[in-house]
Amino acid sequence: MVEIAEIAVSAAELKLGTEPVEAAGVRVSLADGKVRYSMRARDPAVLEGVLGRSLPRKIGDTDAGIACLGPDEWYVVLPDNFDLPRGEGLPVSVVDVSSRALGLVLEGPGALAVLSSGCPLDLAKMSVDRATRTVFETVEIVVWREAEDRWHVEVWRSFATWLWHAFVAAMHGSAK
Amino acid sequence: MSGFRLADGGRIDRRTKRNFTFDGKARWGYAGDSLASALLAQGQMLFGRSFKYHRPRGILGAGVEEPNALVTVDRGPGRVTPNLRAPSVALHDGLKATSQNRFPTLKTDLIAVNNVFSAFFPAGFYNKTFMWPRAAWEKVYEPIIRRLAGLGDSPTTRDPDHYDATYAHCETLVVGAGPAGIAAALEAAANGGRVFLIDEQEEIGGGALSDPAQWAWLAEASAKLAAMDNVTVLSRTTAIGHYHQNFVVAAERLTDHLPVDGAHGPREKLWRIRAGEVVLAMGAIERPLVFEGNDVPGVMLASAAKTFALRYGVAVGRKVVVMAVHDSGWRDALALHAVGVPIAAIVDIRRDVAADLIEGARAARIACYQGYAVTGVSGGQAVNGVTIALAGVGKGQKLECDAMLMAGGWTPTVHLWSHAKGTLRWDENWGAFLPDKTHENLRCVGACAGDWDFGKGLSVGLLPAPKPLHESKAFVDFQNDVKARDIGLAVQEGFRSIEHIKRYTTNGMATDQGKTSNLNGLQIASGVLSRPVTEIGLTTFRPPYTPQSFGAMLGHHKEALFQPLRKTAIDDWAADHDAVYENVAQWRRARYFPQGSEDMNAAVARECRTVRSAVGVFDASTLGKIEVVGPDAAEFLNRMYTNPWKSLEPGRCRYGLLLGEHGFIIDDGVSARLAPDRFHLTTTTGGAARVLNMMEDYLQTEWSDLDVWLTSTTEQWSVIAVQGPKARRVIAPLVEGIDLSPEAFPHMSVREGHICGVETRLFRVSFTGELGFEVNVPAEHGRMVWEAIWAEGQKHGAVAYGTETMHVLRAEKGFIIVGQDTDGTVTPDDAGLGWAVGKKKPDFVGKRSLARPDIVAPGRKQLVGLLTDDPQAVLEEGAQIVADPNQPVPMKMIGHVTSSYHSATLGRSIAMALVAGGRDRMGETLHIPMPGGVISAKVVAPMFYDAEGSRLNG
Amino acid sequence: MLLIHCPYCEEARPEVEFVYGGEAHIARPVDPSTYSDAEWEKLLYIRNNPRGRHHERWRHTHGCGRFFNAVRDTVTDVFETTYKAGEPRR
Repeated sequence: MVEIAEIAVSAAELKLGTEPVEAAGVRVSLADGKVRYSMRARDPAVLEGVLGRSLPRKIGDTDAGIACLGPDEWYVVLPDNFDLPRGEGLPVSVVDVSSRALGLVLEGPGALAVLSSGCPLDLAKMSVDRATRTVFETVEIVVWREAEDRWHVEVWRSFATWLWHAFVAAMHGSAK
Repeated sequence: MSGFRLADGGRIDRRTKRNFTFDGKARWGYAGDSLASALLAQGQMLFGRSFKYHRPRGILGAGVEEPNALVTVDRGPGRVTPNLRAPSVALHDGLKATSQNRFPTLKTDLIAVNNVFSAFFPAGFYNKTFMWPRAAWEKVYEPIIRRLAGLGDSPTTRDPDHYDATYAHCETLVVGAGPAGIAAALEAAANGGRVFLIDEQEEIGGGALSDPAQWAWLAEASAKLAAMDNVTVLSRTTAIGHYHQNFVVAAERLTDHLPVDGAHGPREKLWRIRAGEVVLAMGAIERPLVFEGNDVPGVMLASAAKTFALRYGVAVGRKVVVMAVHDSGWRDALALHAVGVPIAAIVDIRRDVAADLIEGARAARIACYQGYAVTGVSGGQAVNGVTIALAGVGKGQKLECDAMLMAGGWTPTVHLWSHAKGTLRWDENWGAFLPDKTHENLRCVGACAGDWDFGKGLSVGLLPAPKPLHESKAFVDFQNDVKARDIGLAVQEGFRSIEHIKRYTTNGMATDQGKTSNLNGLQIASGVLSRPVTEIGLTTFRPPYTPQSFGAMLGHHKEALFQPLRKTAIDDWAADHDAVYENVAQWRRARYFPQGSEDMNAAVARECRTVRSAVGVFDASTLGKIEVVGPDAAEFLNRMYTNPWKSLEPGRCRYGLLLGEHGFIIDDGVSARLAPDRFHLTTTTGGAARVLNMMEDYLQTEWSDLDVWLTSTTEQWSVIAVQGPKARRVIAPLVEGIDLSPEAFPHMSVREGHICGVETRLFRVSFTGELGFEVNVPAEHGRMVWEAIWAEGQKHGAVAYGTETMHVLRAEKGFIIVGQDTDGTVTPDDAGLGWAVGKKKPDFVGKRSLARPDIVAPGRKQLVGLLTDDPQAVLEEGAQIVADPNQPVPMKMIGHVTSSYHSATLGRSIAMALVAGGRDRMGETLHIPMPGGVISAKVVAPMFYDAEGSRLNG
Repeated sequence: MLLIHCPYCEEARPEVEFVYGGEAHIARPVDPSTYSDAEWEKLLYIRNNPRGRHHERWRHTHGCGRFFNAVRDTVTDVFETTYKAGEPRR
């Protein structure tokens, strides 16, 4: 039995955790610095030409840091200091969104339960190395299953504090 | 005192005593007891007062169908729960329960006088009586009615508990863990899929818990389920409702069964379960019989008495009479007799009853009265006898007893089936509606499917009686105090549909949703109308199946987690500098920065003056931003916005006005062309998501041939507005790679370079009318750059200003705020923004509508400025405007105030307003009637400061 | 909560990922200026409200982001089919 920590009455009091929190077989932490790009193209081959590498073609597939989120949309999450060509003048869109989101990492045997507390997808059936945009309660996220028990969750910066505390609340909630 | 604890038997633990209080008196029971069984064991027959007449009431059922025995459980401050059903409250040490709806005490209820005058409280009484005068409702009728007719008191203090919530997925969900549900779960589990088995009771077993012969099987099956990895068994979990495509919501009660000091963690957990197949095994609920006196404490369902005896080891009486119209009543009587509950007689309206039942009763020396009906019950707060008569109309004969059981047949529990829009069919044998067809992957098993052997019986509802219906005091709905004669009256007054009869009489509208009353009410209506029940129909079941706490519905969404509060990267700095905040959409924004004892007016006046005389810094990060990229970017924007975009040079900005196809303004913002194929758009704070969605809509569905893509960059960039004559001097030392000179960097242009060592998109724009810049930097650097600008600004007397000052400054310049000065019915011309509409453009979104007759008609409301005759009078935003304040009420309103402030710069108030034919009224005096008197104001152009725009250049 | 089959993701996804987009197959004319006031009013404001089959738009906003069309029974809420934007009416 885990006692639930007092949660602030006012949302204004919430702070983004910088230290990982562990409970109930789950660890939530902030992902290291990342560069992020949103890439769009009607014809993936054109974008592949710009990037000089292949792209995952099926929605939900990932390949070396690139996730296919839509029929014409790819999301890139890579370690720091990685600049992509913009493909000026070509029918593609490459936009640096490194600062737009933060990455929260859920690890451990209880991670699935914490994520399922607010995400309506049947995540148990999501294969490792798949990624998708979805929601956690009312907040849009991108879920990336990096390993059986490791989930990388991308969330827009201003929602990250709420999401962090929602995860922590769920960790304690599932700790029965 | 009539009930008592049997010498042995039941699933209670007789070695473990539980102490509790009821209405403040110390009581005790055993581990495994419910509150109802423990109290019954001590002879308590009176549990509550009825809703309308305050009649004494006892236990009717042993499960969630219980309509009478509602209690309030007090678990400490903020943890008081009213309207719990005593049979469903698990006993624990220290339980504090109180009865409800009694005044002042349960035994002596002064308001029971209602009962004496009950003839004056017929169906529709409230609707008919408390009609007039209207004012009396609020002051007289309503408070009195609430005092008289109430359930428990709502909690008034903050609920300190936490509530958990989750989604879950399974191939098979079984609702109800009686024998049929357990069998279905075992069968499904054998196929390997994920199985959920949920049940509302303290332990699984359902009806088997009241049948010791099944306990060995139950233990074995429970162990088997527990050992299977793919099975999740949830007891104390109520399936609240079935929603589309087998989405079932259930609430699990985690701690209410524990002593207060032993309860840790969340109180409840909301399960949102998506199932491939749902199996409903929700059983059936026994029906009461409707006869004079059927609500006297001690009159209860036969099945309930059986559960109390066999599951809890409690006899409901020392001399019990059974009134049956169904074999199950005989069976229950024999089962009760077998464990030592003295059964004096079985009365059955039927003359023909199965020989084995009669044989069994005779062997048990139980008197049998076939062809008889109970016609009356004696006793006030407890039964002391019943009157029976042949066929209900013969000569009355009195039988002594201290408890009376009703066996009126069974109603399958089809609530969730009905939530799923499953159809029902009337089954003559059951005398009840059974599940028929559904488009969901959903099926019923066991008793709720009609597949259970309760024996045979009649479906009568109302017993034959010597009195005519309109004189009868036979109750149909115990919780809402609806009598059979109320239904008769409703029909007499012209109600035909069961939905109308339900609402007029309130039959089935109590917290139990008519679990014991719906079918009896229907059959009585059918009898009075002389039409078959199938023609009268059934009322609709809706979630929740049983009342649920608000906490469970909210889950984690309470207090700080109620909804996300979005903060910018600079928000913490503002907090450190004593900002007062306001919420804008989900964002919180600094509204003003008071110094010392300043109030808002003083702080805003100082901030405004400083921006106009020196410089101010403002966090504009919440502005919506969209990056538009691709060869067709300019073409796309040209089609979306009212003004031309193709000619915009890279490095230049333009004010964009966005209309809906209906021609009304829905958003605006300044946008920049960064490169031939790349634009940086801004939108209003609240419109960011809506605008992106609208643009995606056009791009995907109307102009899918365009090679252009949209990316939200709202959160990528922190935006720091530096505004005022000294703005350039503040940023100059920090900026690298951008020539800030007026010639190289004119108003309405954009440059890319660096500030404080990080990349920036530097806009020269102004929402204040002053020389201004908006510094865009990646959000992760927002705080650092803000602090550097702030430090530099201190050398020039800079202030940080908030949204209130931003509003005043822009209003002084007549700049609109979409959503404040517009309301979804304002065209560009109405807003005085006709200049922003490209006259030569053949098409753009909304253009065709600008030529519609109503849009070009004269007299439309137009945006104007207002200057009050009294310069210190600040109009109220939203206030209505009239031309003639002396006209009789209701006055003709010709417009309303949209923005209004005190302007420190001008030393007077200013306002903007939408006024019919406003631009033709320049110089006219209009009037704003307010509670304190009429305020007069002159119509002027909505431009109060620096009309020639000279200040843009510093 | 509905489960909606997204024709782009090719899987059924929970309703909260989607946003309803009104009646389907109402195309914006290439040149709206050729529309009479009555025709334009009809295009803007007049919609079908059938009991039964309804052609409607949805957007998988919190998924792949695409608009698509669906046929839903307004009585049972059962989706008969979903198909990509631009495909003919079903």
